[in-house]
Amino acid sequence: MTSARTKKLKPSGTAVPQPPLRRGALIGGLAVIAYLLLTFFVAKANLSIQSVVLVAAVFAVLAISLDLVAGMLGLYSLGQGGFFGIGAYVTTILAGQFGWDVFLLLFVVLAVTGVAGALVGAMSLRVSGLHFAITTFIVTLVLTVLETNLEITGGLQGQLGPAFPDFPKALSGLGAPVAWCIMLALLLCVGLVWNIRRSPLYPVLLSIRDAEPFAEAAGVRTSLIKVGLFSLSAAIAGGAGWLFSFLGVVSPGQFDWSVSLNVLVMVLVGGINTTFGPIIGAMFVSMFPVVVNINPWIQEILYGALSIAAITFLPEGVIGVGRRLLAGKRSGATAAAHTDARPPEAIAAGDPSVDIVAQGGEVIARRAPLDEIMLECRGIECGYGRGPKVLRGVDLVVRRGEIHGLIGPNGSGKSTLANVIAGRLTPTAGTVILKSQPVNGQPPSSRAKLGLRRTFQAAELVREITTAQNVTVGLYDRIPGIVRRAALWPMLPSGRRDTAITQRQAVDSLVAVGAAEWAAERVGDVPHGIEQLTQLAAVCIAAPDILILDEPATGLSAREVAHLARILADLRSQGVTMIIIEHQTRFLFPLCDQVTVLNLGEVILTGTADEVRAHPVVRQVYLGE
Amino acid sequence: MSTTAPHALDISGLNAGYGRFDVIRDIALKVGTGEAVGLLGPNGAGKTTVLRSIMGLIRQRRGSIQVAGTDVVAMPPFRIARGLAALAPEGRRLFVEQTVEDNLILGGLHLRHDTARHEALLASVYELFPVLKSYRKRLSSYLSGGEQQMVAIGRMLMSDPEIMLLDEPSVALSPVAVDIVVKALIELRRRGASLLLVEQRIDVAIRVCDRLYVMTHGEIVEEMTPEAARGAGMSLIDKYLG
Amino acid sequence: MLQFLASGIAIGCVYGMIGMALAITFYVTRIINFAQGQLMMVTVMVTAELVGQGYSPWVGVAAGLAASAVVGVLSYLIAVRPILAFNRFGFGWLVSTLGFAAIVENAAAYFWGPTSIPFPTILNSTSVHFGDAAVLTGQQILAIVVALLAGAAFELVRRHTLFGKIGMATAADPEMASAFGINTKTVAMVAFAASALLAGLAGVMIGPSTFANPYLGDTFGTYGFIAMMIGGGTERPITALYGGILLGISAEGANAFVNSRASDWFPFLVLALILVVSPRGLFSSTGPLARLRPVRAGR
Repeated sequence: MTSARTKKLKPSGTAVPQPPLRRGALIGGLAVIAYLLLTFFVAKANLSIQSVVLVAAVFAVLAISLDLVAGMLGLYSLGQGGFFGIGAYVTTILAGQFGWDVFLLLFVVLAVTGVAGALVGAMSLRVSGLHFAITTFIVTLVLTVLETNLEITGGLQGQLGPAFPDFPKALSGLGAPVAWCIMLALLLCVGLVWNIRRSPLYPVLLSIRDAEPFAEAAGVRTSLIKVGLFSLSAAIAGGAGWLFSFLGVVSPGQFDWSVSLNVLVMVLVGGINTTFGPIIGAMFVSMFPVVVNINPWIQEILYGALSIAAITFLPEGVIGVGRRLLAGKRSGATAAAHTDARPPEAIAAGDPSVDIVAQGGEVIARRAPLDEIMLECRGIECGYGRGPKVLRGVDLVVRRGEIHGLIGPNGSGKSTLANVIAGRLTPTAGTVILKSQPVNGQPPSSRAKLGLRRTFQAAELVREITTAQNVTVGLYDRIPGIVRRAALWPMLPSGRRDTAITQRQAVDSLVAVGAAEWAAERVGDVPHGIEQLTQLAAVCIAAPDILILDEPATGLSAREVAHLARILADLRSQGVTMIIIEHQTRFLFPLCDQVTVLNLGEVILTGTADEVRAHPVVRQVYLGE
Repeated sequence: MSTTAPHALDISGLNAGYGRFDVIRDIALKVGTGEAVGLLGPNGAGKTTVLRSIMGLIRQRRGSIQVAGTDVVAMPPFRIARGLAALAPEGRRLFVEQTVEDNLILGGLHLRHDTARHEALLASVYELFPVLKSYRKRLSSYLSGGEQQMVAIGRMLMSDPEIMLLDEPSVALSPVAVDIVVKALIELRRRGASLLLVEQRIDVAIRVCDRLYVMTHGEIVEEMTPEAARGAGMSLIDKYLG
Repeated sequence: MLQFLASGIAIGCVYGMIGMALAITFYVTRIINFAQGQLMMVTVMVTAELVGQGYSPWVGVAAGLAASAVVGVLSYLIAVRPILAFNRFGFGWLVSTLGFAAIVENAAAYFWGPTSIPFPTILNSTSVHFGDAAVLTGQQILAIVVALLAGAAFELVRRHTLFGKIGMATAADPEMASAFGINTKTVAMVAFAASALLAGLAGVMIGPSTFANPYLGDTFGTYGFIAMMIGGGTERPITALYGGILLGISAEGANAFVNSRASDWFPFLVLALILVVSPRGLFSSTGPLARLRPVRAGR
């Protein structure tokens, strides 16, 4: 476990070999060249083909902007139409009526929609899920109304957008410059999303989406990231509006709520949270009426029927289903996991560490806890509404280097106390003091900065990605510029180097907890015991000063429990303070310096493990005698 | 126990779970008519999964689950609930926006046309828990934990099932409330009901049940009598609950 | 002076009924049926068609409502149930209900053409005077009466009939509802049929003014949705009715006091302000008017 104690990643002075340029980069390069050739063809094509392709490309940019927040963060927004409209109208009005330079306007548009996006994104912190989608929907409605009724916008009929400046004479052979601009913008967006997906920020974003408590507990400032990414998504949508204004008339009907809905349809049908899904979806939705050129009503009926069929039979979208089929083939080849069989254990038989603990001997000399108080709870009270209090007058003192057990029957308030200490719950009375600082009111991410980490009783992890990727989330605040560099990550040598380092540290951490075989498996495919071990790896990798473990042994086999005991003893020898909630007293008691017993929200007893085991009150609480 | 009449519950070869690995494997247990059987084990052992599988709430399940001779492993939950099995789930899960009486009536939906039987069942619930009669019209969210547990048990009784399934009824209840619940379950047993009781509290299981199964890591590992469990005491806690 | 209030309430009742219809299906399935407006349109078109062919208005309305109910149940079976079966928490239903709406709307446009056809006047020609203050057509009064009756009937059924309690249980905890013998699929189908009937009724009320047009569903669907959001109908369907009335009054008020086009934008302003203050609606549990909700046992 010593590698996990390294505070920061190795500095660039150390000779870490660069990962070799892979075949993938070559294929990528060829794809880009093919795309540029396609652009050339479009730029020279006749106007009707050009407009069909370019409109689809603009919508592809819009769809990608939505997928950023909907796919990666789970924030379904119906506001893209609104931001799209802001971009188009600002460009059209300021260029057409006030003569501003169109390229300057691009920056203006990005700034304006970015700010608007931040404001709307901030609303997502108050409401979530469907209600947030509805709120963004209303934003688009309001903007449409403004666009229809203000004098300056030209009302329902709209205005003609500006003309894109021509190429200088030398480049005029390339064809229509607006085509190059739009297609390159699309390429840029694809590149952005591609890079983010291959940066350490990606697992962090998914953890905000699927396991927000886990992300917060790892020190991620989830609110800031949500607002920031939303702002980026709105800016891209505004940029799409800027692009769109060069294609003809700008009128309210092109930016209304139905457009917002259509963009979401594009993302869902093409494949949410995929790089190319939004593009496929945009092509389907915007090109359909052109390609299927029959009676307009029959065409719409066909479109409606196709979209119902698509979402029913391909619920993860076109790309999503394709991706799953490929993954299925791969995992089928490697791990033949027949569901009748027992899930494999993390520790193979014959592991010498198992025998040492099984003999009941102490593995590592117990270092006496120091006097410094790491954590103190005074008079914690916690209740939900009308019912009886879940916690009543709970006091707790934990010293540095101590392992403090917390036991009690189900429903006694152990997890609630853990949540109060970690900052997920606000107590109705009492204070929590962490390293001599009162932390009442501080969110979990701030407490993580003080060196506090925790695991959850029901493992909070991202099922879609591997255990190793989940573990890298634990390194969030040790990766310099994780957010700043994300847009370019795999292209930066420092990015590739840091990826290699974080990957290796994550795998090392998994090896240390005994889950090495599962490093490349998606969490959705691993047995429950491995989920628990993954959580443990994710917190240990951050070298915490104080660790709260909520029922870490649940679902683990006897061998896995013994290995867990060894890991925890190892951590204690390095000076980590721990609070462990557990039922399995045979595992817990040998490790603990102190044990607190909770029942019905009150502390019944605090003492050494031997005192607690012998005390009649404990038997009463568990056996009811 | 008659050998010709079918068991209230007869499970064999049950495997169930979510996703790639099954949570419970090769489960086999029986509950005779009029018998109360306990299912003990630590958190994460799969006890709740067993109950939910019987009730049809787990889609990924296979094996044989016979309730009074009828195989329910392929039935949807609403059909199983109509007289075969009934569940008092962990955490009570009452219909909180409704009154006590409405919760009870909703429990006995499939019998609502047989007015006489319906009235008789309602009366028997109020006889078992007299305090509920005075709280009939109270919103169930205004009840204490113990009173809510009474409603959950009453709701289960109203469907007059062949087998009653209870998931940790003593969780987070005061000792007084636990006592009331235990006495009610004993009375039900006396009236001839068949019960499958999941518990973490060994004392509750010992008082109510005729037989005990112990589960760990998704499998049933032992079967014992309450007397044996009482004698084992603390070492039983050590062995299976920690 | 009071004219805007009176006509506002009248049109608001129509919006409110559509909002309530949306809220009922949301209550039971937790999704928003984007085809709701089209369900109103089906009643209007079928009624207009039959009356145009010589049948009595009663027959026309009855057939129109029945047609809506059938299409409503179909929308559940085709566009909602399969999606929810796969993933209860995704947004796939948005795609499918939108697709269903497109199918119904364009099928109607294909069959009847895109222009309006006449709708029987019913009570539109009579008018009632309230002193000097206001005048309402018989149709508007009918709309108010029908809306209030529908709201009262809904609350009555919800709170005091067994089916209402089954519906509430299904809405609150579908898993436990099914564990006590409730067939949630049947409950959903009934909810979708009821909401289609309600939307259809709204259509019959407004039909004489708007005539029968296949594209009615878009505008009225949007207004119904806004009514639901203002009121807080995502929690309790009846509040959508209140929200609709507020919407109607603010639209007519804007017309009266600002200018005749203000009803295009004023309601949205109101809505935006309300949502900033109370994102779940005025009458919801987190809204400022929450305390106006009576707290009685049996609710």
